[in-house]
Amino acid sequence: MSVDEKKTIPQEPIDPEAEAALARETAGLDPAKAHEIREKVRKRIREEVEREIRLRNASDRREEGRRIREERRKEKHHEEGEMFQRLNRNFRFQHIIMFTSVVLLIITGMPIKFPNFFLSRIVINLWGGINNSTIVHRIGAGMLIYFMAHHMAYCMFSREGRRDFLLLIPMPKDLRDAVQNVRYFLGRTDERPKFGRFSYIEKFDYWAVYWGCVIMIGSGALLWWETITLKYLPKFFIDIAHEAHSDEALLATLAIIIWHFYNVHLNPERFPGTLMWWHGKISEHEIKEEHPLEYEEIMAKRAKQTAAEGNNR
Amino acid sequence: MRKAAIFAGIAAALLGVGALLFPPPAEARISLEKCTLCHGKTEFRKILVDGKIRELFATADSLKGSVHEKKTCVDCHFDVSDIPHRERPRRVTCTHCHYKGNAEGAPQSDASLAYFESVHGTAIARGNVKAPLCQDCHGSHQILKTKNESSAVSQRNVAETCGRCHIEIYAQYKMSIHGVAMAKGIKEAPSCTGCHGEHMIYSPKDPKSTVYATHIAAQCSKCHGSISIMSKFGIETEQVATYKESFHGVANQFGSRTVANCSSCHGTHEIRPAADPLSSVNPANVPKTCGKCHPGANPNFAVGKMHIDAKKKEAGIVYYVASFFKYLTIGTMLVLIAHILLDMYGRTKRLRGEK
Repeated sequence: MSVDEKKTIPQEPIDPEAEAALARETAGLDPAKAHEIREKVRKRIREEVEREIRLRNASDRREEGRRIREERRKEKHHEEGEMFQRLNRNFRFQHIIMFTSVVLLIITGMPIKFPNFFLSRIVINLWGGINNSTIVHRIGAGMLIYFMAHHMAYCMFSREGRRDFLLLIPMPKDLRDAVQNVRYFLGRTDERPKFGRFSYIEKFDYWAVYWGCVIMIGSGALLWWETITLKYLPKFFIDIAHEAHSDEALLATLAIIIWHFYNVHLNPERFPGTLMWWHGKISEHEIKEEHPLEYEEIMAKRAKQTAAEGNNR
Repeated sequence: MRKAAIFAGIAAALLGVGALLFPPPAEARISLEKCTLCHGKTEFRKILVDGKIRELFATADSLKGSVHEKKTCVDCHFDVSDIPHRERPRRVTCTHCHYKGNAEGAPQSDASLAYFESVHGTAIARGNVKAPLCQDCHGSHQILKTKNESSAVSQRNVAETCGRCHIEIYAQYKMSIHGVAMAKGIKEAPSCTGCHGEHMIYSPKDPKSTVYATHIAAQCSKCHGSISIMSKFGIETEQVATYKESFHGVANQFGSRTVANCSSCHGTHEIRPAADPLSSVNPANVPKTCGKCHPGANPNFAVGKMHIDAKKKEAGIVYYVASFFKYLTIGTMLVLIAHILLDMYGRTKRLRGEK
């Protein structure tokens, strides 16, 4: 809608039905006053209509953009097929908060564990000295604590959160999957294990983060508020917390750099990484490959839905 | 005969020139005799404006036995030319001879020049008349080699010399473990100069100082990190390593001045063994000592070992926590890396078309 068109709006007649109702309501009034009221109401209705049109245009534009991008993708990578929403917005937000905080914590924490490594001093000095880097470490810690609280609430109060949490609980199938996967790697079998929504690798990652968060936040909190800790606990609790914090940090960092990076970045299928953490979508091709059971479930659900719709008609 | 007379004449002339160039000890004796006309009297002294008496007694024996034994009065007091002195003779400037490349036979070293940048030298330069010059520490006429036991700056006497001005610190040091050890004649015990340095003494707040917050650990570990020194007294050396691994030590190495260094807990001049009830690291005093930085410190701070080495069994529960994480990390990593390698192996095989 151009600026010129906008100016003509006040002349536009409003909905005849509304006009009739307006005339009916203001019939008994003084003609001058009735005219004034009618004008006011008309103006208000026009404003409302205009706003509605503008909103609809905006959402249409977004929808159109999405559709065009999707078409382009289909032209470019037609083999990938339909895109399925794998991770919802809430989950992606949690992941972004978590990896930001973990990166901050690692780059400010590791120099303290390895002070003699030549990079340590450089990294610490990048923040402007140890006093600043410890503040950044606490900012990262605050973000991780927030993430943990957010995730707990998500697992309890969100329907998808509850569903995913239950699906992440380790099952005997995961052990069988792991054994079969190793057999597949070794060429003993040609059949890859059929994973559900979460493979045993993803489950391991999830529970590793869970364990890491509990240890790191627990020991970190004891060290952060050391005077309160020592008010109630003897000094060797601080030493234990320090040791656990430092050792678990190394374990978590190694797990991220070696295991997680291999699985999501260095792995030839994913190299140099996918954008799933950003848009949360998985292609038909990939879901069939990586999570066949989940794909079957989605398809079954869809079939049921269309059948139900058919019955309703 | 005549030839001989000419030869004798030339020889005499040469000797005369030689005598001018290389004055014999006879002249020194003349100088000394002139000075001792007045300064040789025992009652020769001056009453200063503040009522203090300055002894001006000096004889041929004044320099006897000192490092300047062979020097005469005017070698140092070179501004004195008239008797009686028209102006008050100035204080002796030692750098007249004491610099590298001097021809006077003084030690060939510039080490003492560091004094001019030290806290004492800069105080003098700023016009502080109380700040010490060379002779205030080394003495004036009876200057002895540092290695000489009776020298004012020998290892045993230097604390007393410094204590002439730094009285309170001297009293604290005298009662500390280092002062007591020094009094017992233990050569390894540090005196003032052991920690603060000799000529390049700076304020502890000056980053150049050897006892600056971030330098203290290095300074203490010169002795406390040395097994050969500490084993003589049955003192452990692991304190240095454990401190460096602790958060205090790490932050200190990264330049934090607020974090605890050795002296924050053990004290500076009043260092005492932990068993001493007056020691700042005695368990009874630990809450107060820790409370300087950790407000509200209580006796819980003293429960458990202070300098902990998690790699040793003496660390108790901390050792077991460390071992648990060690094996957990090794075990987990082995499994994960094995999984990755198997994955790569499988992929490679399939890519090559083998099965």
